[in-house]
Amino acid sequence: MARLLLLLWSLGPMLWQLYSSLRPSEALSGVDAGGWTLEHYRQLLQGDPPFLTYLINSVVVGGSSTALTLALAVPCAYALSRLGRRQARSLTALVAAAAAFPAVLLFLALLELARDWHLANQLMALSLPYAGLCLPLAILLLQAAFADIPMELEEAALIEGMGLWQRLRWILLPLMAPAIASSALLVFLFSWNEYPIALTWLSRTELLTLAPAMARIAGSSVYTIPYGAFAAATVLGSAPLILLMLLFQRQIISGLTQGAIKG
Amino acid sequence: MRWRLWLLMAPALALLLAVFAAPLLHYLWLSTQAQTVLTGLRPQPIGAQQWLRLWNDGRFWQDTWQTLRFSAASVSLEMLLGLVVALLLNQPLRGRALLRTISLLPWALPTTVMALGWRWIFNDPYGPINRLLAWLGLGAIPFLSNPAITWMAAVGADTWKTTPFVALLLLAGLQTIPADLYEAAALEGATPWQALQRITLPLLTPYVLIALLFRLAQALGVFDLIQVLTGGGPAGSTESLALYAYLNAMRFLDFGYSATLLLGSFAILLLLCSTAALAWRWSSRLQGELR
Amino acid sequence: MALRWRLLLVTLTAALLIGFGALARARVEPVSVLMPAPFADASADLVQEFNSSHQGIQLTVTRGPLETEAVSDLAISSLLLENSPYDLLLMDVTWTPKYAAAGWLEPLESWLGTDAMEDLAAGAELGNAFSGHLWRFPLVADMGLLYWRTDLMEAPPRTPAELVAISRRLQRESRVTWGYVWQGKQYEGLSCVYLEVLRGFGGSWLMDDQPQLDSPAALAATGWLQDLVRQGVTPAAVANMGEPEALQLFQAGDAAFMRNWPYAWAELNKPESPLRGKVAFTTMVSDVGNPHAATQGSWGFSLLAGSKHKAAAVEVLRYLTSAEAQKQLNLRWGYTPTRLSVFEDPELLAANPALGDLQQALAASVLRPLSPVYAQLSDLLYRELNTVITGDRADQTAMQQVQSNSERLLRTSGGQG
Repeated sequence: MARLLLLLWSLGPMLWQLYSSLRPSEALSGVDAGGWTLEHYRQLLQGDPPFLTYLINSVVVGGSSTALTLALAVPCAYALSRLGRRQARSLTALVAAAAAFPAVLLFLALLELARDWHLANQLMALSLPYAGLCLPLAILLLQAAFADIPMELEEAALIEGMGLWQRLRWILLPLMAPAIASSALLVFLFSWNEYPIALTWLSRTELLTLAPAMARIAGSSVYTIPYGAFAAATVLGSAPLILLMLLFQRQIISGLTQGAIKG
Repeated sequence: MRWRLWLLMAPALALLLAVFAAPLLHYLWLSTQAQTVLTGLRPQPIGAQQWLRLWNDGRFWQDTWQTLRFSAASVSLEMLLGLVVALLLNQPLRGRALLRTISLLPWALPTTVMALGWRWIFNDPYGPINRLLAWLGLGAIPFLSNPAITWMAAVGADTWKTTPFVALLLLAGLQTIPADLYEAAALEGATPWQALQRITLPLLTPYVLIALLFRLAQALGVFDLIQVLTGGGPAGSTESLALYAYLNAMRFLDFGYSATLLLGSFAILLLLCSTAALAWRWSSRLQGELR
Repeated sequence: MALRWRLLLVTLTAALLIGFGALARARVEPVSVLMPAPFADASADLVQEFNSSHQGIQLTVTRGPLETEAVSDLAISSLLLENSPYDLLLMDVTWTPKYAAAGWLEPLESWLGTDAMEDLAAGAELGNAFSGHLWRFPLVADMGLLYWRTDLMEAPPRTPAELVAISRRLQRESRVTWGYVWQGKQYEGLSCVYLEVLRGFGGSWLMDDQPQLDSPAALAATGWLQDLVRQGVTPAAVANMGEPEALQLFQAGDAAFMRNWPYAWAELNKPESPLRGKVAFTTMVSDVGNPHAATQGSWGFSLLAGSKHKAAAVEVLRYLTSAEAQKQLNLRWGYTPTRLSVFEDPELLAANPALGDLQQALAASVLRPLSPVYAQLSDLLYRELNTVITGDRADQTAMQQVQSNSERLLRTSGGQG
């Protein structure tokens, strides 16, 4: 019973969107009309620019942000885990505070940064602030995983005469694979969902990522309100994420839980 | 050896400073400047006037109250529901993994996407809730047009989205509690309710605190949901501090004041989160003494 | 041998032609215009005509959002980033001072000549030029109108008291549910409604850059709007009504009067409209001796200072605002022209007899304050008015609040103001 309730609570709103997106517009505004339609999806996919553009942009931004975040977070987390206890502790506390910081408060300064450094309207450039915002969480997760690797293992490698880079590449990273995968997924999720910074950094319609594109659709409703198209956009916008969640549920969940246990 | 460790951290720390510390310092400077259309968008020093303006700005205080109200309501609802969901998911049930994934879905979706969805769900009169009410012969609820109701609608949408996150953190905590504790309690004849009170809740406190602090900070900066769901209306009743700061920058082109508002929000955030952390530390010390 | 030469000749010519073709294409100047969606749709034919008749310019229109403020948000974010892809913006009258003060607009007088404004109808010239420069050229005129039901009364009311009296009589006789519907939502439309009533009671919003919103006239205007709701002449739901909601209620035959823009005229006279032929419009009611005011809400083109194709963009501006283009926009889409020559065009007058009345209303139009901080001023006003209408606040305290907030805004925004 409780399980059923939980299912209904989690899926109900999404199912309503799915249902709305497949019904003709008249049916949505109360007129009794039967039948189903793909019209809303057709409208969206053939729009100007087509909806797929937004999804592709989001994938590009998500991919580059994830790569940049990991490239910075892995060495940092390693160093943090090998640093003396006292120093690491205060640094970790600062990083944890940054992880909870609401990103929206930074939008104005980041806007000026984009203008002064000519970073606006470039998808790849968006991975700079995104990496900055995701770093705290990624560092915390990876640091906890590094700390789990016994020092003896590394010391043995040191005796073998392996340099820092070799130790990282051949000993530590393979052991870290699960933690790296979960952090990558969490960073990707964040970049996919981020809104205020994308809103201020991107002003060309063909470059919008999913989140600001959805908001623009919402702001376009004076005469008639295109609820069918709204619903279809919601479905198309969530579908890739639902897929991602179903495929990688274990990594995402373990990433989140690890962060909580160790953090 | 040591300097090599710092070298490894340097790029990440530099980016962290650029993204977190530099903006806050920049705001501190910008809040002493007038930078508006009337100055041709060029900064002009005006001392503490922006802070005076903030102090006298009724809308700032109204938005502060509304943001606090929203945060308090949604965070406490989320903690409560999150605990219930976590306890449910911690039970050995068939299909638990799938249930866990499904219940996490709302958290994974972009806020703007679901905010748009909720706008349709809350529609008066064609949304599902109002259709159901009409079918039952009851009047419609003006979810998005009544100042007394709309903020609760926003809390509802936020709770739906972030409860799974809280539940997952608490679930992680529940799984660290050794099962023999419960067995021992059962042997002593404790009811499940007593076990929850005596074992689960005390051992879960650190996780509750992490979730609480994290959610509180995020809720105080609420922006995406409000902007898409209500745009701050009706009658400004759902406008949050972040939205007000955003409007000042992007619509009123008043950057000095926007920076002041952002810093003001940050101060409130800092105050609340540190109060919560201190209160927890104090209460746990008190508990320790009592034991 | 000959064959080889001929082949070579052919190749050379082809190469040259391709080269010239590429050069010619390189010389085509791209001009990009941002418009709200309805205008982008209405001007699609004109854009096509322009592109086929102007080989040297490639005109593209970006279809912005429908909502006025959302379009402005989009334009502003691109301008703030100093990375604007647009050459021309189609602007609402209230944005112009803000954009000009921010330094985003190019003065037009040197491009269009000093006689550019001569053909503009009375009222349409307002809101385009200030502080010594012409910043915008109007494409479409818009002004607030009072719609009334010709099947319910002989003549429209001319004073506020008459409007209330007629409404109450019709309501008592159960011929309509409501008397008068207007825009009372917390948004720009409420400021437009208020300005007309305020003028009708002899007040004004700003005088010598000083707000006058706690004057007796301002209080009378607020009190009148509040009383409309209290007495049941206007439904309480007006507090959440924008233009479409008011039109929906009026078109269903549930009200005797409505305040709306000219677009409602075309809607009300559509073949399937239940009110077809039963509606007329006039200007807003006013107390004896005061003007019947119509809030002006025109749209026009501005040239962006950062444009790299200014000459070509001005060419586009001239074409899209020409008498011929305005005539087409009126005939096919019902947009009100801004040019005198278009208002007096016999062919148009025959097709659209209401044009003369529209011209008169336009002549009676009044501007909202031409201030760079207009967005804030209006925001202060409609927020408080909305609380008065919902009954949450007494009108006097609310208006004193608006007055002191407006004063403080004008004093503090921008340091020395």
